[in-house]
Amino acid sequence: MLEVLPFLPLLLRGTMVTVALALLGLGLATALGAIGAVGRLSGGRLSAVVVRAYTTLVRGVPDLVMVMLVYFGGQRMLNDIGALAGWDHVSLPPFWAGVLSIGLIYGAYLTETFRGAYMAIPSTQSEAARALGLGRFVTLRKVILPQMLRHALPGYANVWMVLVKSTAVVSVIGLGDLVGMANDIGKSQREPFLFFGFVLLVYLSITWVSNRVFATIERRIAT
Amino acid sequence: MLKTTLLSVGFALTLGTQALSQSLNICVEGAYPPFSYTTESGSVAGFDIDIANALCDNLGYDCTLVKTGWDGIIPALLERKCDAIIASMAITPERKQVVDFSMKYYNTPARFVGREGMTMDNLNGAVVGVQRGTVHHEYMRGEHPTVDLKLYGSQDEAFLDLAAGRIDAVMGESIASATGFLETEAGEGFAFFGPPISMPKYHGIGAGIAVRQGEEDLRNAISHAIGELRADGTYQKINQKYFDFDIFGG
Repeated sequence: MLEVLPFLPLLLRGTMVTVALALLGLGLATALGAIGAVGRLSGGRLSAVVVRAYTTLVRGVPDLVMVMLVYFGGQRMLNDIGALAGWDHVSLPPFWAGVLSIGLIYGAYLTETFRGAYMAIPSTQSEAARALGLGRFVTLRKVILPQMLRHALPGYANVWMVLVKSTAVVSVIGLGDLVGMANDIGKSQREPFLFFGFVLLVYLSITWVSNRVFATIERRIAT
Repeated sequence: MLKTTLLSVGFALTLGTQALSQSLNICVEGAYPPFSYTTESGSVAGFDIDIANALCDNLGYDCTLVKTGWDGIIPALLERKCDAIIASMAITPERKQVVDFSMKYYNTPARFVGREGMTMDNLNGAVVGVQRGTVHHEYMRGEHPTVDLKLYGSQDEAFLDLAAGRIDAVMGESIASATGFLETEAGEGFAFFGPPISMPKYHGIGAGIAVRQGEEDLRNAISHAIGELRADGTYQKINQKYFDFDIFGG
Protein backbone atom coordinates (compact mmCIF):
# COMPACT_ATOMS: atom_id res chain seq x y z
CA MET A 1 0.00 0.00 0.00
CA LEU A 2 2.99 2.29 0.66
CA GLU A 3 3.81 2.26 -3.05
CA VAL A 4 0.78 4.48 -3.63
CA LEU A 5 2.10 7.32 -1.47
CA PRO A 6 4.62 8.86 -3.89
CA PHE A 7 1.89 8.92 -6.53
CA LEU A 8 -0.75 10.41 -4.26
CA PRO A 9 -0.42 13.99 -5.61
CA LEU A 10 -0.83 12.67 -9.14
CA LEU A 11 -3.82 10.54 -8.20
CA LEU A 12 -5.42 13.45 -6.39
CA ARG A 13 -4.93 15.60 -9.47
CA GLY A 14 -6.69 12.86 -11.44
CA THR A 15 -9.49 12.86 -8.86
CA MET A 16 -9.89 16.62 -9.27
CA VAL A 17 -10.16 16.18 -13.04
CA THR A 18 -12.79 13.48 -12.57
CA VAL A 19 -14.82 15.58 -10.13
CA ALA A 20 -14.57 18.75 -12.24
CA LEU A 21 -15.54 16.81 -15.34
CA ALA A 22 -18.50 15.23 -13.58
CA LEU A 23 -19.78 18.50 -12.11
CA LEU A 24 -19.44 20.50 -15.34
CA GLY A 25 -20.91 17.57 -17.26
CA LEU A 26 -23.85 17.50 -14.86
CA GLY A 27 -24.34 21.26 -15.28
CA LEU A 28 -24.46 20.96 -19.06
CA ALA A 29 -26.66 17.86 -18.87
CA THR A 30 -29.09 19.67 -16.55
CA ALA A 31 -29.34 22.60 -18.94
CA LEU A 32 -29.83 20.31 -21.94
CA GLY A 33 -32.30 18.19 -20.01
CA ALA A 34 -34.36 21.26 -19.04
CA ILE A 35 -34.37 22.55 -22.62
CA GLY A 36 -35.21 19.08 -23.90
CA ALA A 37 -38.08 18.62 -21.46
CA VAL A 38 -39.54 22.03 -22.36
CA GLY A 39 -39.19 21.16 -26.04
CA ARG A 40 -41.05 17.90 -25.60
CA LEU A 41 -43.80 19.28 -23.37
CA SER A 42 -44.79 22.74 -24.42
CA GLY A 43 -43.34 23.26 -27.88
CA GLY A 44 -44.84 22.56 -31.24
CA ARG A 45 -44.43 19.42 -33.32
CA LEU A 46 -41.02 20.37 -34.66
CA SER A 47 -39.36 20.85 -31.26
CA ALA A 48 -40.89 17.58 -30.05
CA VAL A 49 -39.45 15.75 -33.07
CA VAL A 50 -36.02 17.34 -32.59
CA VAL A 51 -35.90 16.45 -28.89
CA ARG A 52 -37.12 12.93 -29.53
CA ALA A 53 -34.43 12.46 -32.19
CA TYR A 54 -31.81 13.74 -29.72
CA THR A 55 -32.83 11.45 -26.86
CA THR A 56 -33.24 8.40 -29.09
CA LEU A 57 -29.95 8.91 -30.89
CA VAL A 58 -27.85 9.78 -27.88
CA ARG A 59 -29.28 7.12 -25.59
CA GLY A 60 -28.56 4.56 -28.30
CA VAL A 61 -24.85 5.35 -28.59
CA PRO A 62 -22.31 3.85 -26.13
CA ASP A 63 -20.47 6.43 -23.99
CA LEU A 64 -17.12 5.37 -25.39
CA VAL A 65 -18.25 5.90 -28.98
CA MET A 66 -19.72 9.29 -28.09
CA VAL A 67 -16.46 10.48 -26.53
CA MET A 68 -14.47 9.34 -29.58
CA LEU A 69 -17.01 10.97 -31.90
CA VAL A 70 -16.92 14.30 -30.12
CA TYR A 71 -13.16 14.41 -29.64
CA PHE A 72 -11.96 13.17 -33.02
CA GLY A 73 -15.03 13.92 -35.12
CA GLY A 74 -15.38 17.33 -33.49
CA GLN A 75 -11.72 18.03 -34.18
CA ARG A 76 -12.15 17.05 -37.83
CA MET A 77 -15.13 19.40 -38.08
CA LEU A 78 -13.08 22.20 -36.52
CA ASN A 79 -10.20 21.45 -38.91
CA ASP A 80 -12.51 21.54 -41.94
CA ILE A 81 -14.18 24.75 -40.83
CA GLY A 82 -10.74 26.18 -40.01
CA ALA A 83 -9.43 25.29 -43.46
CA LEU A 84 -12.38 27.02 -45.11
CA ALA A 85 -12.14 30.10 -42.92
CA GLY A 86 -8.36 30.22 -43.11
CA TRP A 87 -7.73 30.00 -39.35
CA ASP A 88 -4.66 28.53 -37.86
CA HIS A 89 -5.15 25.13 -36.24
CA VAL A 90 -7.78 25.32 -33.50
CA SER A 91 -7.53 22.50 -31.02
CA LEU A 92 -10.43 20.93 -29.13
CA PRO A 93 -8.98 20.23 -25.67
CA PRO A 94 -9.73 16.74 -24.30
CA PHE A 95 -11.22 18.17 -21.09
CA TRP A 96 -13.88 20.17 -22.91
CA ALA A 97 -14.50 17.34 -25.34
CA GLY A 98 -15.14 15.22 -22.26
CA VAL A 99 -17.51 17.76 -20.69
CA LEU A 100 -19.34 18.09 -24.00
CA SER A 101 -19.74 14.32 -24.43
CA ILE A 102 -20.85 13.71 -20.85
CA GLY A 103 -23.25 16.67 -21.00
CA LEU A 104 -24.72 15.50 -24.32
CA ILE A 105 -25.22 11.93 -23.15
CA TYR A 106 -26.75 12.65 -19.76
CA GLY A 107 -28.76 15.59 -21.04
CA ALA A 108 -30.76 13.00 -22.98
CA TYR A 109 -31.43 10.97 -19.85
CA LEU A 110 -32.31 14.05 -17.84
CA THR A 111 -34.75 15.17 -20.55
CA GLU A 112 -36.72 12.04 -19.79
CA THR A 113 -36.27 12.46 -16.01
CA PHE A 114 -37.62 16.02 -16.11
CA ARG A 115 -40.42 15.13 -18.51
CA GLY A 116 -41.46 12.25 -16.29
CA ALA A 117 -41.44 14.52 -13.24
CA TYR A 118 -43.68 17.02 -15.01
CA MET A 119 -46.10 14.33 -16.15
CA ALA A 120 -46.32 13.02 -12.58
CA ILE A 121 -48.06 16.23 -11.51
CA PRO A 122 -51.83 15.96 -12.01
CA SER A 123 -53.14 18.47 -14.56
CA THR A 124 -55.71 19.55 -11.96
CA GLN A 125 -52.88 21.38 -10.20
CA SER A 126 -52.35 23.86 -13.01
CA GLU A 127 -56.09 24.08 -13.59
CA ALA A 128 -56.58 25.00 -9.95
CA ALA A 129 -53.80 27.58 -10.18
CA ARG A 130 -55.47 29.14 -13.22
CA ALA A 131 -58.80 29.14 -11.44
CA LEU A 132 -57.12 31.12 -8.67
CA GLY A 133 -56.05 33.63 -11.29
CA LEU A 134 -52.31 32.83 -11.28
CA GLY A 135 -50.41 33.57 -14.46
CA ARG A 136 -48.53 30.95 -16.44
CA PHE A 137 -45.12 31.92 -15.08
CA VAL A 138 -46.23 32.11 -11.46
CA THR A 139 -47.99 28.76 -11.83
CA LEU A 140 -44.79 27.23 -13.14
CA ARG A 141 -42.58 28.73 -10.45
CA LYS A 142 -44.82 28.39 -7.42
CA VAL A 143 -46.93 25.34 -8.21
CA ILE A 144 -45.32 23.11 -10.80
CA LEU A 145 -41.55 23.42 -10.19
CA PRO A 146 -41.54 22.70 -6.44
CA GLN A 147 -43.55 19.54 -7.04
CA MET A 148 -41.45 18.59 -10.06
CA LEU A 149 -38.32 18.83 -7.94
CA ARG A 150 -39.65 16.20 -5.59
CA HIS A 151 -40.46 13.83 -8.44
CA ALA A 152 -37.26 14.50 -10.36
CA LEU A 153 -34.78 14.19 -7.51
CA PRO A 154 -34.51 10.37 -7.21
CA GLY A 155 -34.01 10.07 -10.98
CA TYR A 156 -31.59 12.99 -10.97
CA ALA A 157 -29.52 11.43 -8.19
CA ASN A 158 -29.46 8.19 -10.13
CA VAL A 159 -28.22 9.88 -13.30
CA TRP A 160 -25.49 11.62 -11.28
CA MET A 161 -24.25 8.29 -9.88
CA VAL A 162 -24.00 6.77 -13.35
CA LEU A 163 -22.49 9.95 -14.78
CA VAL A 164 -19.67 10.04 -12.22
CA LYS A 165 -18.55 6.59 -13.17
CA SER A 166 -18.94 7.09 -16.89
CA THR A 167 -16.38 9.93 -16.76
CA ALA A 168 -13.83 7.10 -16.79
CA VAL A 169 -14.26 6.68 -20.55
CA VAL A 170 -12.49 9.99 -21.18
CA SER A 171 -9.17 8.33 -20.45
CA VAL A 172 -9.20 6.96 -24.02
CA ILE A 173 -8.69 10.47 -25.35
CA GLY A 174 -5.66 10.92 -23.14
CA LEU A 175 -7.27 13.01 -20.44
CA GLY A 176 -5.57 12.49 -17.08
CA ASP A 177 -8.69 11.64 -15.09
CA LEU A 178 -8.49 9.33 -12.08
CA VAL A 179 -8.87 6.12 -14.09
CA GLY A 180 -6.49 7.22 -16.85
CA MET A 181 -3.88 8.24 -14.28
CA ALA A 182 -4.21 5.04 -12.28
CA ASN A 183 -4.02 3.00 -15.46
CA ASP A 184 -0.81 4.65 -16.64
CA ILE A 185 0.82 4.61 -13.20
CA GLY A 186 -0.29 1.06 -12.50
CA LYS A 187 1.21 -0.16 -15.74
CA SER A 188 4.38 1.86 -15.32
CA GLN A 189 4.82 0.53 -11.77
CA ARG A 190 3.60 -2.95 -12.75
CA GLU A 191 1.11 -2.82 -9.87
CA PRO A 192 -2.23 -2.45 -11.66
CA PHE A 193 -4.36 -3.91 -8.82
CA LEU A 194 -2.94 -1.63 -6.20
CA PHE A 195 -3.75 1.51 -8.15
CA PHE A 196 -7.14 0.32 -9.33
CA GLY A 197 -7.88 -0.52 -5.70
CA PHE A 198 -7.25 3.12 -4.89
CA VAL A 199 -9.58 4.15 -7.73
CA LEU A 200 -12.28 1.94 -6.27
CA LEU A 201 -12.00 3.66 -2.89
CA VAL A 202 -12.18 7.13 -4.42
CA TYR A 203 -15.28 6.35 -6.48
CA LEU A 204 -16.86 4.73 -3.45
CA SER A 205 -16.27 7.88 -1.39
CA ILE A 206 -17.68 10.10 -4.12
CA THR A 207 -20.86 8.06 -4.37
CA TRP A 208 -21.13 7.81 -0.58
CA VAL A 209 -20.90 11.59 -0.17
CA SER A 210 -23.36 12.08 -3.04
CA ASN A 211 -25.80 9.68 -1.41
CA ARG A 212 -25.72 11.67 1.82
CA VAL A 213 -26.17 14.97 0.04
CA PHE A 214 -29.12 13.78 -2.01
CA ALA A 215 -30.71 12.09 1.01
CA THR A 216 -30.51 15.39 2.91
CA ILE A 217 -32.05 17.36 0.06
CA GLU A 218 -34.82 14.80 -0.34
CA ARG A 219 -35.63 14.99 3.35
CA ARG A 220 -35.71 18.81 3.20
CA ILE A 221 -38.07 19.10 0.27
CA ALA A 222 -40.33 16.30 1.45
CA THR A 223 -41.54 18.40 4.37
CA MET B 1 -11.52 39.14 -54.99
CA LEU B 2 -10.49 35.59 -55.83
CA LYS B 3 -6.89 36.73 -55.90
CA THR B 4 -7.07 38.11 -52.36
CA THR B 5 -8.62 34.88 -51.15
CA LEU B 6 -5.87 32.86 -52.78
CA LEU B 7 -3.29 35.20 -51.33
CA SER B 8 -4.68 34.89 -47.84
CA VAL B 9 -4.83 31.09 -48.15
CA GLY B 10 -1.22 31.11 -49.29
CA PHE B 11 -0.34 33.36 -46.41
CA ALA B 12 -2.08 31.03 -43.94
CA LEU B 13 -0.19 28.05 -45.38
CA THR B 14 3.14 29.79 -45.01
CA LEU B 15 2.27 30.69 -41.45
CA GLY B 16 1.32 27.07 -40.85
CA THR B 17 4.65 25.66 -42.00
CA GLN B 18 6.53 28.33 -40.14
CA ALA B 19 4.78 27.42 -36.91
CA LEU B 20 5.58 23.78 -37.60
CA SER B 21 9.29 24.40 -37.96
CA GLN B 22 9.47 25.88 -34.48
CA SER B 23 7.22 23.72 -32.39
CA LEU B 24 6.28 20.09 -32.66
CA ASN B 25 3.70 18.11 -30.69
CA ILE B 26 4.65 14.49 -30.19
CA CYS B 27 2.16 11.79 -29.19
CA VAL B 28 3.52 9.34 -26.61
CA GLU B 29 1.85 6.52 -24.71
CA GLY B 30 3.13 6.50 -21.13
CA ALA B 31 2.09 2.95 -20.27
CA TYR B 32 4.66 0.71 -21.95
CA PRO B 33 7.75 0.41 -19.75
CA PRO B 34 10.67 0.66 -20.22
CA PHE B 35 9.99 2.46 -23.50
CA SER B 36 7.39 4.84 -22.16
CA TYR B 37 6.11 5.11 -18.61
CA THR B 38 4.54 7.61 -16.20
CA THR B 39 6.62 9.00 -13.34
CA GLU B 40 5.65 10.28 -9.89
CA SER B 41 5.47 13.85 -11.15
CA GLY B 42 3.07 12.84 -13.91
CA SER B 43 5.60 13.30 -16.67
CA VAL B 44 6.54 10.54 -19.07
CA ALA B 45 9.94 8.88 -19.25
CA GLY B 46 11.60 5.97 -20.97
CA PHE B 47 13.51 5.04 -24.09
CA ASP B 48 10.91 6.51 -26.47
CA ILE B 49 10.86 9.76 -24.52
CA ASP B 50 14.65 10.11 -24.46
CA ILE B 51 14.75 9.46 -28.20
CA ALA B 52 12.01 12.04 -28.73
CA ASN B 53 13.92 14.68 -26.76
CA ALA B 54 17.20 13.86 -28.47
CA LEU B 55 15.53 14.14 -31.89
CA CYS B 56 14.01 17.49 -30.97
CA ASP B 57 17.38 18.79 -29.78
CA ASN B 58 18.98 17.59 -32.98
CA LEU B 59 16.32 19.18 -35.18
CA GLY B 60 16.04 22.36 -33.16
CA TYR B 61 12.32 21.96 -32.55
CA ASP B 62 10.50 23.12 -29.46
CA CYS B 63 8.69 19.90 -28.58
CA THR B 64 5.63 19.21 -26.46
CA LEU B 65 4.85 15.63 -25.48
CA VAL B 66 1.15 14.76 -25.70
CA LYS B 67 0.15 11.72 -23.68
CA THR B 68 -2.43 9.71 -25.61
CA GLY B 69 -3.98 6.28 -25.09
CA TRP B 70 -2.80 3.66 -27.58
CA ASP B 71 -6.26 3.14 -29.08
CA GLY B 72 -6.58 6.82 -29.92
CA ILE B 73 -3.00 7.53 -30.94
CA ILE B 74 -3.33 7.35 -34.75
CA PRO B 75 -6.60 9.35 -34.80
CA ALA B 76 -4.84 11.94 -32.63
CA LEU B 77 -2.10 12.28 -35.27
CA LEU B 78 -4.57 12.44 -38.16
CA GLU B 79 -6.70 15.10 -36.45
CA ARG B 80 -3.57 17.15 -35.73
CA LYS B 81 -3.61 16.73 -31.97
CA CYS B 82 0.07 15.98 -32.55
CA ASP B 83 2.51 16.01 -35.46
CA ALA B 84 4.44 12.80 -34.82
CA ILE B 85 3.99 9.56 -32.87
CA ILE B 86 6.95 8.19 -30.92
CA ALA B 87 5.40 5.21 -29.18
CA SER B 88 7.30 2.08 -30.19
CA MET B 89 5.02 1.79 -33.20
CA ALA B 90 6.07 -0.97 -35.59
CA ILE B 91 6.28 0.02 -39.24
CA THR B 92 3.71 -2.11 -41.12
CA PRO B 93 2.04 -1.99 -44.55
CA GLU B 94 -1.40 -1.59 -42.91
CA ARG B 95 -0.32 1.43 -40.90
CA LYS B 96 1.48 2.86 -43.94
CA GLN B 97 -1.90 3.16 -45.63
CA VAL B 98 -2.86 5.84 -43.10
CA VAL B 99 0.42 7.34 -41.87
CA ASP B 100 4.00 7.73 -43.09
CA PHE B 101 6.98 6.43 -41.13
CA SER B 102 10.53 7.60 -40.60
CA MET B 103 13.30 5.01 -40.77
CA LYS B 104 13.22 2.58 -37.85
CA TYR B 105 14.63 3.70 -34.52
CA TYR B 106 14.81 0.22 -33.09
CA ASN B 107 14.00 -3.33 -34.04
CA THR B 108 13.69 -6.07 -31.48
CA PRO B 109 12.32 -9.56 -32.13
CA ALA B 110 8.98 -10.90 -30.92
CA ARG B 111 8.78 -13.98 -28.69
CA PHE B 112 6.32 -16.29 -26.99
CA VAL B 113 6.15 -16.37 -23.20
CA GLY B 114 4.71 -19.34 -21.36
CA ARG B 115 5.16 -21.58 -18.31
CA GLU B 116 8.70 -22.90 -17.98
CA GLY B 117 9.02 -26.06 -20.04
CA MET B 118 6.47 -25.05 -22.65
CA THR B 119 7.59 -25.58 -26.25
CA MET B 120 6.31 -24.71 -29.71
CA ASP B 121 4.77 -28.21 -29.84
CA ASN B 122 2.32 -27.21 -27.09
CA LEU B 123 1.09 -24.24 -29.07
CA ASN B 124 -1.80 -25.99 -30.79
CA GLY B 125 -4.60 -26.34 -28.31
CA ALA B 126 -3.21 -23.52 -26.21
CA VAL B 127 -4.84 -20.14 -25.69
CA VAL B 128 -2.50 -17.30 -26.61
CA GLY B 129 -2.95 -13.69 -25.51
CA VAL B 130 -1.91 -10.75 -27.69
CA GLN B 131 -2.42 -7.00 -27.64
CA ARG B 132 -5.23 -6.08 -30.01
CA GLY B 133 -4.29 -4.28 -33.21
CA THR B 134 -0.56 -4.94 -32.90
CA VAL B 135 1.84 -6.70 -35.27
CA HIS B 136 1.77 -9.67 -32.89
CA HIS B 137 -1.95 -9.97 -33.43
CA GLU B 138 -1.40 -9.99 -37.22
CA TYR B 139 1.41 -12.51 -36.89
CA MET B 140 -0.71 -14.92 -34.86
CA ARG B 141 -3.59 -14.66 -37.33
CA GLY B 142 -1.32 -15.23 -40.32
CA GLU B 143 1.08 -17.89 -39.05
CA HIS B 144 -0.93 -19.68 -36.37
CA PRO B 145 -4.52 -19.43 -37.61
CA THR B 146 -5.64 -22.50 -35.66
CA VAL B 147 -4.39 -21.28 -32.30
CA ASP B 148 -7.01 -19.84 -29.96
CA LEU B 149 -6.38 -16.11 -29.50
CA LYS B 150 -7.41 -13.90 -26.63
CA LEU B 151 -7.17 -10.17 -27.35
CA TYR B 152 -6.20 -7.47 -24.87
CA GLY B 153 -6.12 -3.69 -24.86
CA SER B 154 -2.59 -3.69 -23.49
CA GLN B 155 0.35 -6.02 -23.12
CA ASP B 156 0.11 -5.89 -19.32
CA GLU B 157 -3.44 -7.20 -19.28
CA ALA B 158 -2.30 -10.21 -21.28
CA PHE B 159 0.44 -10.90 -18.72
CA LEU B 160 -2.00 -10.50 -15.83
CA ASP B 161 -4.16 -13.20 -17.39
CA LEU B 162 -1.13 -15.39 -18.09
CA ALA B 163 -0.12 -15.20 -14.42
CA ALA B 164 -3.72 -15.85 -13.43
CA GLY B 165 -3.76 -19.00 -15.57
CA ARG B 166 -6.53 -17.84 -17.91
CA ILE B 167 -4.27 -18.18 -20.94
CA ASP B 168 -1.31 -20.46 -21.71
CA ALA B 169 1.01 -18.11 -23.55
CA VAL B 170 1.54 -14.51 -24.60
CA MET B 171 2.96 -13.34 -27.90
CA GLY B 172 4.73 -10.01 -27.71
CA GLU B 173 7.79 -7.87 -28.14
CA SER B 174 10.75 -9.49 -26.37
CA ILE B 175 12.08 -6.55 -24.33
CA ALA B 176 8.70 -5.46 -23.02
CA SER B 177 8.01 -9.11 -22.14
CA ALA B 178 11.32 -9.50 -20.32
CA THR B 179 11.28 -6.27 -18.30
CA GLY B 180 7.52 -6.06 -17.99
CA PHE B 181 6.88 -9.59 -16.86
CA LEU B 182 9.65 -12.21 -16.79
CA GLU B 183 11.96 -10.13 -14.60
CA THR B 184 9.20 -9.27 -12.13
CA GLU B 185 7.80 -11.30 -9.23
CA ALA B 186 4.70 -12.19 -11.21
CA GLY B 187 6.87 -13.68 -13.96
CA GLU B 188 8.41 -16.35 -11.77
CA GLY B 189 7.99 -19.81 -13.30
CA PHE B 190 7.53 -18.36 -16.77
CA ALA B 191 10.03 -18.16 -19.62
CA PHE B 192 10.46 -17.41 -23.31
CA PHE B 193 9.88 -20.37 -25.58
CA GLY B 194 10.44 -20.88 -29.29
CA PRO B 195 12.88 -18.83 -31.36
CA PRO B 196 13.05 -15.02 -31.61
CA ILE B 197 10.73 -14.06 -34.45
CA SER B 198 11.17 -11.19 -36.84
CA MET B 199 9.25 -11.54 -40.10
CA PRO B 200 9.21 -8.32 -42.12
CA LYS B 201 5.81 -9.37 -43.52
CA TYR B 202 4.24 -8.96 -40.08
CA HIS B 203 6.73 -7.30 -37.83
CA GLY B 204 7.85 -4.87 -40.44
CA ILE B 205 11.30 -3.52 -40.21
CA GLY B 206 11.15 -2.20 -36.69
CA ALA B 207 9.58 0.65 -34.78
CA GLY B 208 9.38 3.97 -36.56
CA ILE B 209 8.14 7.48 -35.95
CA ALA B 210 4.79 8.13 -37.58
CA VAL B 211 3.85 11.42 -39.24
CA ARG B 212 0.84 12.43 -41.33
CA GLN B 213 0.96 11.37 -44.96
CA GLY B 214 2.45 13.91 -47.30
CA GLU B 215 4.62 15.60 -44.67
CA GLU B 216 7.77 14.60 -46.50
CA ASP B 217 9.99 17.34 -45.09
CA LEU B 218 9.28 16.42 -41.48
CA ARG B 219 9.63 12.71 -42.19
CA ASN B 220 12.97 13.12 -43.96
CA ALA B 221 14.25 15.44 -41.27
CA ILE B 222 13.39 12.88 -38.58
CA SER B 223 14.98 10.00 -40.49
CA HIS B 224 18.09 12.06 -41.03
CA ALA B 225 18.20 12.96 -37.34
CA ILE B 226 17.92 9.29 -36.32
CA GLY B 227 20.98 8.60 -38.47
CA GLU B 228 22.83 11.44 -36.79
CA LEU B 229 21.95 10.22 -33.28
CA ARG B 230 23.36 6.83 -34.25
CA ALA B 231 26.52 8.42 -35.65
CA ASP B 232 27.29 10.84 -32.81
CA GLY B 233 26.78 8.34 -29.99
CA THR B 234 23.65 9.92 -28.48
CA TYR B 235 21.61 6.86 -29.37
CA GLN B 236 24.09 4.49 -27.73
CA LYS B 237 24.04 6.58 -24.55
CA ILE B 238 20.25 6.38 -24.35
CA ASN B 239 20.29 2.70 -25.28
CA GLN B 240 22.70 1.99 -22.41
CA LYS B 241 20.37 3.52 -19.85
CA TYR B 242 17.73 0.88 -20.50
CA PHE B 243 19.23 -2.17 -22.21
CA ASP B 244 22.45 -4.16 -22.09
CA PHE B 245 22.58 -4.69 -25.86
CA ASP B 246 22.07 -2.53 -28.94
CA ILE B 247 18.35 -2.62 -29.70
CA PHE B 248 18.74 -0.86 -33.06
CA GLY B 249 18.90 -4.33 -34.67
CA GLY B 250 20.44 -5.40 -37.95
